[in-house]
Parts: sequence; structure tokens; C-alpha cells
Amino acid sequence: MVNDSGQLYTMEGIAAGLVMLLTAYLILSTTSIYTPGDTHIPDMQLEQLGSDVLAMMDTPDREGEESQLVGFVKNGTGTCGGDELRDEFLDNCKMRSDDPDENLRAQVYLSYRRSDGSVNTTPLSSVDPEFTGRENAVRVTHWVHLPPGSHSIPNIDTSRPHAVLVEVLLWRV
Amino acid sequence: MACMNEDGQWIVLMGLLVAVGLFFLALIINQSALVGQTTAEGVLEFPKNDIRDLRKAVFDYTDKFGMVPDTDETKKNVQEDIIAISLERKNAVVSFSVGQRVSISGQQAYPVEIHYNNGVTEYDETVYHYRAYE
Amino acid sequence: MVALIAVASMVPGLLAGLQSSGIDYDAVAYRTGVILTEDPGWPGWPVYPPWEMKDQYHKDEIERMGLAVSNETPNILLSTKIEKFFNDTFFTTDDYRSKAIFGEIPYSYNITLRSLDGRYNHKVGQETPEGYGYIRRVVKIKEPSVAVIDGSLKERYTISPGDNSTTRTFTVRLDFSRLLNASIDPAYRIDPLTEPVNITITNFSEYLNKTDETVKNATLKSVTFRRGSSSIRFPFPYDTENPDLYTLSLDGNPYDLKPEAPVESNISLVLKPPATSLFPLDQNSILDIRFTFENDPPHTNITGIHYYDYNPKNVTRPALKPAVLEVAIW
Repeated sequence: MVNDSGQLYTMEGIAAGLVMLLTAYLILSTTSIYTPGDTHIPDMQLEQLGSDVLAMMDTPDREGEESQLVGFVKNGTGTCGGDELRDEFLDNCKMRSDDPDENLRAQVYLSYRRSDGSVNTTPLSSVDPEFTGRENAVRVTHWVHLPPGSHSIPNIDTSRPHAVLVEVLLWRV
Repeated sequence: MACMNEDGQWIVLMGLLVAVGLFFLALIINQSALVGQTTAEGVLEFPKNDIRDLRKAVFDYTDKFGMVPDTDETKKNVQEDIIAISLERKNAVVSFSVGQRVSISGQQAYPVEIHYNNGVTEYDETVYHYRAYE
Repeated sequence: MVALIAVASMVPGLLAGLQSSGIDYDAVAYRTGVILTEDPGWPGWPVYPPWEMKDQYHKDEIERMGLAVSNETPNILLSTKIEKFFNDTFFTTDDYRSKAIFGEIPYSYNITLRSLDGRYNHKVGQETPEGYGYIRRVVKIKEPSVAVIDGSLKERYTISPGDNSTTRTFTVRLDFSRLLNASIDPAYRIDPLTEPVNITITNFSEYLNKTDETVKNATLKSVTFRRGSSSIRFPFPYDTENPDLYTLSLDGNPYDLKPEAPVESNISLVLKPPATSLFPLDQNSILDIRFTFENDPPHTNITGIHYYDYNPKNVTRPALKPAVLEVAIW
């Protein structure tokens, strides 16, 4: 009595109709789909910029001169060498062809080996009052050869030259 | 069932083909979203600046300590500095050595061997470094 | 039925394809930034001549344009490469796309280089729109060295008394085996084969023969070249004045290599790499540049050999200049 031979046609028709409706809805309400790659690109740009600036600060302008970076680290925590380092670093990062890029902040740390052999990291620049610790920051590092001598760095063996690592935390506000 | 009703077979077959085709196409386009992700991540992951920086640190070490025998305490300490700080702060295992000075076409050079491994990228290099004039 | 359900759940992925080309721009900009700042280009060292010395007829031999001094000195750019790259009358938009930016899609680009002191302010490409892929690289620029011979060197370069010849020759010597020394970092090296050689003689009045009050100038007869002990011909006729090969100016006026003109206060010769490459030279040659003055009786007492080497008293090497390179792609 009830003929079920047209069931397949009906199901097909409903499914086709649904697909068409769905597609039409999605096309009409096109939004930018947030692809996961987006978050890494600003990090990559900042990291490259910071590495470039540290490398350039460690390149003497004339052959045989001492580089700017070594000079700042030698001043150490004592005579605000770290703050000068941070300021010079930020000035170089902000340089642009039109007006400077003002939204960058940085903090400088120094990693070195103490006289007992363990590695210590000490902040070199004064703490930024706006630093909350939750910024999306990148860390850029650079090796520096420090000649012997007192550099106001705590617990360091002042009689021998050192290889120390300058670490800069760089973020955008 | 004397004769089967064969009407509509063509339509069903075409429908199946279209569905399979759409499935395949949508799969491809869906995977393309991941392409953008790995590009920037790949750049961040490869430690180009770290390796360059390490090479420069080793060459500076060679300039200062190339002539000094390997038993010298200061030389060993600076080498230990680089190895320990790399392990602690850069999460990388580093080892390097400087060989005896050789003469290449009239100029003095040191054979330097550098090994770097940060768990994802491994880098080994043997190179002749010409000592910079002091 | 199952296939249809699966398709319906993947339809959103269909539209991701329309937006994903936006991610490419930053990656392409980063790649172009790396090519420009960390790569010397191809043909580059060790292949000679490098890409910046190719002329119009050999432009197709340039495969990649990079501005770095060498591949051991990333982020140090060479001024001759910069001048060539930012010359947009020589390179077309297609050249930039195929030799610096690469990729199958014809991207629009804007590349700028600005130095901190403002001396370099170059731009090539189109105006930037609202959204674009971007990278910023901080670099230093290496400029060519200058040999300045001023009045203070008078003691070294005056003839001994009793010399009665009428010609006076003053030589500037480039000893390639000393200059192309591998111990010198390429960022500070003097390389006459890729950078211009600049010889400037100032306060020339100090070198004039002061015994005769009427002598106000001396006549520079010619500038010749010698390799080792034999003289070599300049590969062009002496009267060609081609600023791409050399510039010779006496007291500010341009001349060719046989000026036979009086000079009062300064001589400036800039020998450019396309000219130096035409001489048959290798890494061990010695190139002498001879200035010959002839007057009867002689008006000047200059003589001697000035070494163009790494001694800071002989040659001034300018400091590296900080600059910023920005690449925008859309």
C-alpha cells in the first residue's frame, strides 16, 4: 500500500537542500578564519629584530675597537651600565624610516658562571614599573667576552676573563 | 521481482561521485590552513641566530686562546663558561675544540670544531679560522 | 549519507582557502629580508665579477641580489651593492620580483633603507596600502676607504735636493696580497676589486716649488697604471670620461686620464671596480697608480710611493654606519 520506492529521492533532495543552504549561509557570512599561524609571526619579527640589534651593538664600527655591548656590560650593575644598555637597545629597535616605533619595551639580564661553578642570572637593568610579567615577550641573547676586572657583578671571579650571556626580554605594549 | 526497477541508478551514482569529489577537495583545502602555521613556527624553531652567535663566541675564544695550551686553567674555564651557560639558559648541548695552528697559503689558521644540539636541531662544523690581527 | 555529513562538516574549510594567502606576505617579506641582509648575492664571492658589476647586457646573469659584504658577515651591507640595488632605472619591477622577492605570485613590494645619519635614504617599489607583510632588519653599512694625502705628509714625499729631472711622479701602490688578507674581517677589509679606490691629494700647494714665487700650480700630465714593473694600458682610450669607470677631478673640474692641465690645490681620483676588474690582476698583484707632473722648470717637488694599505696613517677607513632596512610585501 505505502510505496517506499521514492524514499531515496526524498532523502537525497533533503540532503542536497541542506548542503546548499549551509554553503549559501557560510558564503554570505564570510568571516576571517583565525588560522593558528598568525600568533607566531609578530614573535618571529620581534625576535629577528632583537637579535639583529644585539649583533650590531656587538660589532665595532672600526677594526680593533671594543664594541658598544662589551662597554655596557663592563659597567655592569654598578654604574647603571644596564640601563644604558637597555636604552641604547630600545633606540636601535625603534629606528624606522618614518617616525620611530614607540611601543617597545625591554629588560636586560646577564647570565654568568659564579666562582663556585654554578650559573647565575642577574637583572642588569632597573625594573620597568609597567612590567607585569604577563606580556607576550621574546628573549634574545648574545655572547660577550668579558675581560678580567671588577665589573660590579656579584660573586664573579674577577681574576680571569669570562664568557657571559646577555639576555634581553623584548615585548610590545 | 521479475524485472528490477533500474530508474534513478544514474542519479544515485552521480550523487555518490560528487560527494566523494567534494570530500577530497574539502580535505585538501582544510589541510592548507596548517601550511601558514608551520612557516612562521619553522622560522622561530630553527636557531639560526643562536648558532651564528655561538660560532662568533667560539671564534673570539680562538683568537684569545688559540696559542695557549689546552691545560691552561683560564682557557678551560672560559670553555666551561660557554658550555655550562648554553646548557642552563639556551637548552643546548655545546662542545667545541681548537686544534694546532696550521699554515694555509702563507696565512696562519686554526682548525675549529663546533658541535651544537638543542634537542630539535643538530649542527656540526669543522672550519679553519684565520686569527684576527690584534 | 556518511560522505554527505562529512562534507558538510568540512565546508568551513573551503573558505579558509580564500583567507590563507594573507599569511604568506610576512613569510615572503622575511625571506626577502634575509636575502638582502645576509646574502652577498649570486654571482658573488668567490665568483668574480659579482652581481653589482654586471652591466645592461649581462643583467640576466644575475640570479639573486643580496647586499651583504660576504656570507660570513651578515647584516653588514656593502655601499656599492646598495647603490646598484636601489637604482630603479637599471632594474625593472620584474627584475626585483625575480631576483630578490621570488615566488609565483607577482607581489607588490616596498623596500626602504635609511641610515641613522640620513646619508642613505633609498626606497624602491610602490606605495604601501593599509595591510601588508613586513620585516625590519637593523644593519651596518660599509663604505669605501679613502687615501688622503695632505700637506702634513710633505716631508715624506718631497724629492731629495739635487734631483734635476723635469718630470715628477707620485705613485700610489696597491699590494693585493697585503690587502686581501684573510685575517682581516671582511667587514673591515679593503678590496679594490669590489669597492672604489679613492685617492685624494689636498693642500697641493704645499708640494709646489716654493723657491719660485710665480709658481702657483703644476701641470698634471697623465695618470698611468703599472702592474709590478711593467706598465699596463688602461683598457679604454685615455680620453674616455666614463663616470662608471673612474672620476678624476682637478680643483673640482672633471678631466680624463691625460689631463695636461694645471692643478692648484687638490686632485681626486676615484677608480671604480668595473675599471679595476679590466686590468689583468690576481690576488698577488701589485697595482701602481702613477701621477706624472711635467713642467719645465718643474713646479712641484712631489715624489715617492704612498702605500694603500691598512695603516691608518695611509688610508682612512670610515666607520660602519648603522641603518635600518624595511621590506613590505602585499
